[in-house]
Amino acid sequence: MTESRQLHPWSPLIAAAPVFPAALIVLAMAGGGGTYKLGLAGIPLAVVLSVAVMVVALGYRYLAWKKLRFYFDDTGDLRVDSGVLFRNERRLQLSRLQSVDVTQPLLARIVGLATLRVEVAGSSDSRVNLSYLSLVDAQELRKEILDRAAGLHASSSDSGSSQQAPAVSLANEQVLTTVPAGELALSLLLRTSTAALLGLTAFILISAYVSQGVAGLALVPLTGGVPIFLVVVEFMALFGFTVSLAGDGLRLRHGLLQTQASTVPPGRVAAIDVISPLLWRPFAWVRVRVTVAGVQGSDNDQSGTRSILLPVATRTAAAEIIELILPGAGPEEIALDPVRGRAKWRAPLQWRNLGVGYTDDVFVTQRGWLTKHRSIVPHARTQSVRVEQGPTSRLLGLASMHVDVAPGPVRVVAHYRPQGQARLLADEQAHRAGVARSIDHSTHWARHSDPQTSADQESPADE
Amino acid sequence: MEQMAAVDETFAPPGAAWTPVDPTLTKARRITAGLVLLVPLIVGLVLLFISSVPKWIGLAVLAATVIGGAWLWWYIDRRTKAWRYAERDDDLLVLRGIMFKRLVIVPYGRMQLVDLAAGPIDRALGITTLQLHTAAATTDAVIPGLIPEVAAALRDRLAAKGEQRAAGL
Repeated sequence: MTESRQLHPWSPLIAAAPVFPAALIVLAMAGGGGTYKLGLAGIPLAVVLSVAVMVVALGYRYLAWKKLRFYFDDTGDLRVDSGVLFRNERRLQLSRLQSVDVTQPLLARIVGLATLRVEVAGSSDSRVNLSYLSLVDAQELRKEILDRAAGLHASSSDSGSSQQAPAVSLANEQVLTTVPAGELALSLLLRTSTAALLGLTAFILISAYVSQGVAGLALVPLTGGVPIFLVVVEFMALFGFTVSLAGDGLRLRHGLLQTQASTVPPGRVAAIDVISPLLWRPFAWVRVRVTVAGVQGSDNDQSGTRSILLPVATRTAAAEIIELILPGAGPEEIALDPVRGRAKWRAPLQWRNLGVGYTDDVFVTQRGWLTKHRSIVPHARTQSVRVEQGPTSRLLGLASMHVDVAPGPVRVVAHYRPQGQARLLADEQAHRAGVARSIDHSTHWARHSDPQTSADQESPADE
Repeated sequence: MEQMAAVDETFAPPGAAWTPVDPTLTKARRITAGLVLLVPLIVGLVLLFISSVPKWIGLAVLAATVIGGAWLWWYIDRRTKAWRYAERDDDLLVLRGIMFKRLVIVPYGRMQLVDLAAGPIDRALGITTLQLHTAAATTDAVIPGLIPEVAAALRDRLAAKGEQRAAGL
């Protein structure tokens, strides 16, 4: 058991800070009428009340800080004891570690603090946020957790990571790619929905100018403002997107005001979507999104950025990254079988982009008209398969074949195949799924790189 | 019915022995539909007896209810007859739908949970619904209208096969 540690002493202040402006505003609104009646005497009253609210908030946060301790127990798992009124003792089994991420919310970032989010596989209760630690401490603790999870901390003594055995620490990272800000900005502007709305705005402006009418101008803030706002929000969230190779998977970092960091463990990727909007194709750009088993449905996912593996990259650069997660599944490597004949009647716009294919390891489908989606799912991650047929498709003898994967942004569907073929595809895919064994590479990752440590890693897991 | 069998053939993978769901399901669903239809029926009757409302409005509501009821009577029966399942060596197949047909194939090794559930009407008539869950939320493998003993036996068989496959990992 290591000695128990506390969060950074400024934590209560930073945690309570958002209450202050809110308290002032609420008091100003609620107390406004009352203070008016009381005349000048109301002003001290409002001040006293708001100060009281702040003191209570700060006091509560202080107690919460005082009561929170964390340490590593004898089996090497992370323990977090907290709670002011109700004690809460958490034990995070590090052998089931899912992710450890360092994030910096704006306020914490200003004073150099960070939150460490630790997630293990299991129910929704299996996540803990340590707010706040100094950035350096957070990074050190993250490294320590990763090392312990991989069994690199041979003894449970608090020796500190500097005296480590020759084993390479899992927290070492090698930067693979960084998305240039200009490329990111341009790509966001050229996304199909953004470009369409901006085009509409331009059309309204031009027609208003030509016709000397003003009727359409009222729409301009909406058609022009909303996409620009969304682009700015997403640009800030994805700014400086960096993908690096770490011991536990691919590390993703991004964010202008609030830095986000997350890890994609290769063994837990359930599906990949390679997206190419129409206007990106001249640049050969694609966006890559992933469904990571167990991650979807978690919080802090503004604008769905947590599922983005690469916001924009050239096809070849994306293929290299995908190769690391699913070898042999790069966007261009698998030849797809296009649709023919009657499917053109069923899907007059997107039929050129429809296709399906598979290898020994993965199943691939392609769909979409203006925005092309190429979806890849490993057989080992196929949960079930479906064949669906509506009345129109039935008239044409067509059916669509779906692959069900863990909840996330990726939909895998082979649209409008001849119905016999759809049925055959489904049947074969179900067979491939049944045969494929889901090997979770993420837990084996360290063993490959360092065979010495594998022995002491085996023992504590099943106790 | 002839044409339905034909569609079944194109939809159903070979090597599967299909089991239809129990016809009691039709009765249960018809009772449910009847209870729902009571609402427009009562509304129609009330409208008919309020003198300030033109008679044709009440009659139209009643007529729509009757036509809707007749269609549901027929549709529910067809829907039940189209719903069937098959246990194969490695996976479970569920086939359903008339207008929108759907075949779901779940490999035994991917099953996480098998649920049995029965509402009050189902319980009174002695049928139950079996649902299969995998790690995917979109897996839509539901078999309604099973006799409880059949359902329990099926659940145990599925669980055993699932464990067998999972143990192989």
